[in-house]
Amino acid sequence: MKFVVSSSVLLKQLSAINGVVSTNPIVPILENFLFKLEGNILTVTASDLQTVMITEIEVEAGDKGAIAVPAKLLLDTLRGLPEQPITLNVDEETFGTEIISDNGRYKLSGENPIDFPKTPSVNRGQAVEFSSSALGSAIANTLFATSTDDLRPAMTGVFIQMGAENATFVATDGHRLVRYRRTDIKATADTSMIIQRKALNLLKSCLPSEDMTVKAEFTSSNAFFSFGNIRMICRLIDERFPDYENAIPTNNPNTLTINRAEMLNSLKRISIYSNRTTHQVRLKMTLNDLVISAEDLDYSNEANEKLMCEYNGDDMEIGFNAKFLIEILSNLSCKNITFELSAPNRAGLIIPVEQEDNEDILMLVMPVMLNTYA
Amino acid sequence: MEANRKIIHVDMDAFFASVEQRDFPELRGKPVAVGGSGDRGVVAAASYEARRYGVRSAMASKVARRKCPSLIFVKHRFDVYKQVSSQIRAIFAEYTPLVEPLSLDEAYLDVTENLRGLKSATLMAQEIKERIWQTTRLTASAGVSYNKFLAKLASDHRKPNGLFVIKPHEGLDFVAALPVERFHGVGRVTAEKMHRLGIQTGLDLRQQTEAFLRQHFGKSGGHYYRIARAEDQRPVEPDRIRKSVGSENTFGQDLDTLAEMQGGLAPLMDDVWRWCDRTQVFGRTVTVKIKLNDFQILTRSRSALLPIRERAFFEKVAYELLEENFPLPRPVRLLGVSLSNLEDTHPYEGKQLTLSF
Repeated sequence: MKFVVSSSVLLKQLSAINGVVSTNPIVPILENFLFKLEGNILTVTASDLQTVMITEIEVEAGDKGAIAVPAKLLLDTLRGLPEQPITLNVDEETFGTEIISDNGRYKLSGENPIDFPKTPSVNRGQAVEFSSSALGSAIANTLFATSTDDLRPAMTGVFIQMGAENATFVATDGHRLVRYRRTDIKATADTSMIIQRKALNLLKSCLPSEDMTVKAEFTSSNAFFSFGNIRMICRLIDERFPDYENAIPTNNPNTLTINRAEMLNSLKRISIYSNRTTHQVRLKMTLNDLVISAEDLDYSNEANEKLMCEYNGDDMEIGFNAKFLIEILSNLSCKNITFELSAPNRAGLIIPVEQEDNEDILMLVMPVMLNTYA
Repeated sequence: MEANRKIIHVDMDAFFASVEQRDFPELRGKPVAVGGSGDRGVVAAASYEARRYGVRSAMASKVARRKCPSLIFVKHRFDVYKQVSSQIRAIFAEYTPLVEPLSLDEAYLDVTENLRGLKSATLMAQEIKERIWQTTRLTASAGVSYNKFLAKLASDHRKPNGLFVIKPHEGLDFVAALPVERFHGVGRVTAEKMHRLGIQTGLDLRQQTEAFLRQHFGKSGGHYYRIARAEDQRPVEPDRIRKSVGSENTFGQDLDTLAEMQGGLAPLMDDVWRWCDRTQVFGRTVTVKIKLNDFQILTRSRSALLPIRERAFFEKVAYELLEENFPLPRPVRLLGVSLSNLEDTHPYEGKQLTLSF
């Protein structure tokens, strides 16, 4: 098997799917890309058994064949080569692979393509289409709030609920929660699933910058995505997602409306003075005034700032982990936000005042107990 | 601070057995073991008369009876031991607030700065021994030295009813002459390994480089390196907080099937959970311990990022850990379950609250 391809085209396509290849996989064959040549189409597969990514590249060839090539070795070689046509020559008896460039020859030993795990096939799944930008922002708005606790696998992914009206994406780590709804992603039949954070991370990083259509299909065990010349198949998390709707408090009499960027910048400054392990900041609200303060008793550091806001409700003081607030506020892009609060020991809701078309965002964060309420 | 500290280690002599001999005169002068006499029983404590026959605590009762056919088994009375223990601790408290109890019958006291303004730790140790005798009619052994490691070695040196002092300039020589198996933290297996490496005494141990010890004994190598030099910086910690909560049981009959073991684990999880419920302290790490009938011990543990506060979740993890050991090569003699990485979940200053799903 032999083909000629532009070094930069090959590098670009391999880099797009390389994120799946783990450095220390369960089975060593997964350190390889699987190359399959048919006519002048080269299909490249990368897998970690949970997620499979496939890309197709047009090459000059008239041949047929397959080989598993060490991913790291090949990518490092391509990164070091100036742009030029290169020839890959594979001996399918010995799995020896030779790269021929203007600069010289590089021999690497491949592996038997038969050993590469089979890719799960789409089997009468529920088919959905949506724009890549809608999917991209759904992932960007939820991924940060997922958990890394392997003992609670349901929370290590994003829960997706699709229906005739809209699609809801939910992520939580037990301390904060994001509910992100889009009316431009719909399905004919109600369907729900949990997709692993790693898969979504990979998906996010290889979505194209220009808007295009993403075709998705869901079965009970896998999700399939395809766009451009990339396909991705990921195994779903087979767990029950926590009952998130019940965790969102509905009766929140105290509302604080404030400029998002001003509050974000204030939090970034104040948090420098907060305790380094708890990152605790205090929010004290009185009529049209918000005071954000922090202190670190160990170092006698303290800081406070007064911000203009619109506040309706009883005077109250509530503590939060500044890191959580900063992360939430940086993920939002709206001008103003509203905090909905009830008590210093109950969840606070953060809602953009101006929601974008097709979007409905709700973020929730649990407070940190202040000594005044202990 | 090393050479300036004054640490006393007080250890009651054959504590449980001595309490029984004190309260039941007919047991005095006789080989007594506290513990179950059944086939599966274990000796919790042995009187000095029994020890002469080779009976030791933690020994299977069956083995103990073989070593000493006249051995008298008595059932434990933990309430009494606890009461005696609090009497002893009240005596310690008169000397220093820095008391670190290791168990009911053993404690470290840091008397560098003592409440009596006394200069001599040796005299204090003597006084404490006498007060214990007057209050409880039980004997204790005391060791005095400049760190915890040496104080414990010293209390062991003249047991029973002994008092031994290792002065700062004597520490190195004392350790050098000691066979390695006498070191605290060197068990039978480690001692054998050391013997194979030609290390018999503290002096042999001191002649090894730290790198060599670490290479052969991992992290513990560093500890061995320091104790061979009689160095031990650990402070006496009066408020040592509980690090784990666990329960285990040796079964009357070996368990074979998973169902039997799940049944055996259930009451142990009850014990652990009752404590968590009462104290509202929950752990992040679940550990399951399995002892096979050849005394081989298997442990498996798993940690969550947040404290486990739902009983169902705790049980699910424990059962999973149990199942992961299957199939087992031999029947099971003992099962244990524990929670560690404990966290107080009382809402207090700085406590991050969690969503309750």
